[in-house]
Amino acid sequence: MKMKRLVSTLLAGAMALSLVACGATEAPAATTEAPAAETKTEEAAPAPADTTAEATTSDAITLDMWCIATESDSNRHAYEAAIADMQAAYPDITFNWEAFENQSYKTKIKAAVSADELPDIFFTWSCAFLGDFVDAGKVYCLDDEYQNWKDELPEVMLGNTTYNGKHYGVPTTMNIVGLFANMDLLKEVGYDEVPGTYEDFLACCDALKAKGIIPFGCAGKETWCVTEYLESVIEKSIGADELNDIFLGKATWNNEGVATAVDTFQELVTNGYFDPAGVGLTNDEVKANFMAGKYAFYMNGTWNCADFAANEEFFPKVKVAEFPVVDSAKGKLGQLIGGPSDTLAVAASSPNAEKAAAYAMELGKLICHYGYLDGCGLPAWIPYGDTSSVNGLTQAVSEICANADSYVLFGDTAMNADDAQTYLSYVDQVYGCQVDGAGFIAGLAADIR
Amino acid sequence: MEDTNKKTKKNDSSKIHFEEERYTIKKTNPAVKVVIFVFLGIWAFVNLFPIYFMFTFSLKSNEEIFGKNVIGLPNEWLWSNYAAAMKTGNMGLYFLNSVLVTVAATAITVIAAMMATYAITRIKWKLSSTTNSFFMLGLTIPLQASIVPVYVLLSNVAKKPVIGGIFGINTYASLIIPYAAFTLAMAILISTGFMVEIPYDLDEAARIDGCGLWGTFFKIIVPLMKPALSTIGVYSYLQCWNEFMFANVFISDSVHRTLPVGIKALSGQHTTNWGPIGAALCIATFPTLLVYVFLSKRIQESFIAGAVKG
Amino acid sequence: MAKNKTMNHKSATNWKKGVTIFLFLLPALLLFISVLIAPIAVSIYRSLQDWNGFSEGTFIGLKNYKELFTNGSIKFMVALKNSMILAFFSVFVQLPLSLLLALLLGRKIKGERFFLSVYFMPVLISTVVIGQLWLKIYNPDYGLLNRMLDALNLSSWKHVWVGEVGYALGAILVPTIWQYVGYHMLLMYAGVKGVNPDLREAAMLDGATNWQVDRYVVIPIIKPIIKVSVIFAVTGSLKTYDLVRILTEGGPFQTTEVPSTLLENMLFLRNRYGMGSTISVMLIVLCFAFALLISAAFKEKDN
Repeated sequence: MKMKRLVSTLLAGAMALSLVACGATEAPAATTEAPAAETKTEEAAPAPADTTAEATTSDAITLDMWCIATESDSNRHAYEAAIADMQAAYPDITFNWEAFENQSYKTKIKAAVSADELPDIFFTWSCAFLGDFVDAGKVYCLDDEYQNWKDELPEVMLGNTTYNGKHYGVPTTMNIVGLFANMDLLKEVGYDEVPGTYEDFLACCDALKAKGIIPFGCAGKETWCVTEYLESVIEKSIGADELNDIFLGKATWNNEGVATAVDTFQELVTNGYFDPAGVGLTNDEVKANFMAGKYAFYMNGTWNCADFAANEEFFPKVKVAEFPVVDSAKGKLGQLIGGPSDTLAVAASSPNAEKAAAYAMELGKLICHYGYLDGCGLPAWIPYGDTSSVNGLTQAVSEICANADSYVLFGDTAMNADDAQTYLSYVDQVYGCQVDGAGFIAGLAADIR
Repeated sequence: MEDTNKKTKKNDSSKIHFEEERYTIKKTNPAVKVVIFVFLGIWAFVNLFPIYFMFTFSLKSNEEIFGKNVIGLPNEWLWSNYAAAMKTGNMGLYFLNSVLVTVAATAITVIAAMMATYAITRIKWKLSSTTNSFFMLGLTIPLQASIVPVYVLLSNVAKKPVIGGIFGINTYASLIIPYAAFTLAMAILISTGFMVEIPYDLDEAARIDGCGLWGTFFKIIVPLMKPALSTIGVYSYLQCWNEFMFANVFISDSVHRTLPVGIKALSGQHTTNWGPIGAALCIATFPTLLVYVFLSKRIQESFIAGAVKG
Repeated sequence: MAKNKTMNHKSATNWKKGVTIFLFLLPALLLFISVLIAPIAVSIYRSLQDWNGFSEGTFIGLKNYKELFTNGSIKFMVALKNSMILAFFSVFVQLPLSLLLALLLGRKIKGERFFLSVYFMPVLISTVVIGQLWLKIYNPDYGLLNRMLDALNLSSWKHVWVGEVGYALGAILVPTIWQYVGYHMLLMYAGVKGVNPDLREAAMLDGATNWQVDRYVVIPIIKPIIKVSVIFAVTGSLKTYDLVRILTEGGPFQTTEVPSTLLENMLFLRNRYGMGSTISVMLIVLCFAFALLISAAFKEKDN
């Protein structure tokens, strides 16, 4: 279930200023010569569907892809539309794709990796997940291919799939954590806008509580939902740079600022702002409750925009905002939790790796495009075409992103599986008030390997 | 109360009573009897009610379950819940998978157990009782002992070209073989109990007629082991049909899934629509209950065998 | 010459016999060793390694064992404690109930077969089904339990049964005990039925009540069965998995973790197959240890 969120969560992109790639320390290495002559010449035009690229080599090849865009996945339509475009544009490439359920996909992919049975193109989560495969040498490097797409894909978006300076993944979308608010409920306690300062925010929550409205909706059963709140609080307390360093293992968890931030978060819990029944609910149930008007705030990923937009009754009531700054000494507006996480990668064992790479790039661009239009993700690629149909919420989020300069990847995606579990375990204990800030940092400092 | 009974009865002609009523020499106080029956009745209700509840909510709509008619019989019998469970929930497929795995595992267990028991009980050789003890160890080994190594072995096997498709992860064999192994110890125990009842004279007679060990096995022993077959079969069925841990871990796709995992997946999909979930639960349970109604004695025997003899 | 021939014939027959024995044992041995015995050895070996399941593991000695107890995010002590609580309630609540039922049913009362069949039924139902069923009973908004409390005007007693720290373990206890009362009852009932009726009569003649007969005659005779029940109850508690996975997934806040759920997490969430093996080994050791302890305790009582 945690991974379900990872499906559409994106790792926080590298900060615009310094390229902090997972596991990498230097800027991406300058790639060598131009791709080999037999690479297809793609048009780099931003026009969506009317690609007129012809393959220079016309031998029919087959490309396979595995992904998790099952029928119930919110990205399904984006995938289908994008693939339809690609199949129309490249009729001599037989494209077979299969979607698997989230949970089983992880085991399936790992088994395939060790058996060298990866499909040509496969969906993956960035940072540590893909990193393991890169370390094992199973992923095809995309540096060469990327040169063809430099203008359409900002390099910062590749930050989470850059290892040792090389790029290995194509982002298909991007998401951040947003503070969704039910404005009707806020109006009831006298707030026309989402509170902009932390003091105001707390006052608003108190007012809501006094009126018998539950401020926060959070599925305590799924710990990642708690991190949506916690990480925002931490980031707005100690700043994105410090948090990023800690997540990526470059700085220790023994950080007073983190301890204080965690205590701040715990106050929210002890003040009773969270739904007490939430700990027994799944995220789907909490989201449904939010749309039914049970909670004033819901802090979660912006992939929810599409679902909120689809709910005609609820859509006019909801607004999205950035979480207010907690400690202005280090925290700033314009620093977000999130980034690109959903990624397509190419198997090193693929017989048509170069073509697959080119295909994956373009496919990624299209998926991103349609996903943005659907409102279930933000553009990792530079948006093009007519985007006025994008729902208001996603557009609002886009604006927040446009004004942002740093991203911090979600903790449990930035770290490898084991450390992520350790981290989530401590988040759990914080939410359950079993440890405080000091215990949190002490435990993580000791137990993260 | 008991004491006064004692006093009055002691000088009684209790010896006369003895011939007529063997167990009621002391008349149990009728009040106590009533209390006992009430107690037994309550516990019977506690046992049956959840099953009744499951059956009824599998046929109700959400409104009835959540509001109007929580406990009673359904006002409207929504067999469509079952249709939903079979279609979108794929219960039919999972049912068949469970059947396949159970039958195959049971078959393997029965064959292996009978053969091993024959060697242990009917053939005289030095290590026969040691071997028996060795197999009985299996009764105490927890499932969890095997899961990691077997899982990794299966993952590695899955890489091999041909064998991988038959024996790797996400195959029926990955469940059938462990299930057979885990029910083996009990199967041998049950077989032993039955096989020692077969008179050795038959073996002698067969020997005289010229049958070797193999002949004796097939012609004499196996036909006489039919009751054991059903006892083992029942035990193995229960273990395989309801097994969850291995099925959850070894099978990650939906094609090979068995019922217990399917139910869990279904309830993940339908968090708010309880009817189909109930239908799935019933689909998984009713075969067992049917088997129980017809074979209850066998079932009880198989469970007793383990404890009484072990 | 004839003697040689007979002797050769004899050793030839012995050889054939040996082969036959081996062949008869072969399928069982293959299954048994490959799935039960070898994995224990492999688990022990792997428990000493840091291993992610596909590449080569690195030998780290007993570090995994140490980490089990020191790592604050691996709740092994909590898991053990939960298992022990489950075991305690199994032995001191479930078994007495089973014993009582077995004794009562063993007294030739009306409806014996009916009650026996009904009481045994839950054992046959898959724990997954039982877990799902009880989830519907425990649901905070629509579940049977809270609705019943509402109906009885006891709304203040309502809780989020699987979500609150104090109550979640209890929520798991109830179906566990409920399901297996029938199992232990059946075992004991078989023993009770096996008590020689003459012994009963003799006691009755001496003026014993039914309860006294049970206490002084029947129970001592079925002691071996009680011992087996206790061992099953305790080792079963250590091995609990299904109900916990379905009802609480180890939550809330990892307070209802049990060794088996920890094991699964190690493998699939954390990719730590070495640590997973460590937990396996601990489980095996604990099961054996308790089986021995309990056997010894019963032997002492005899003496």
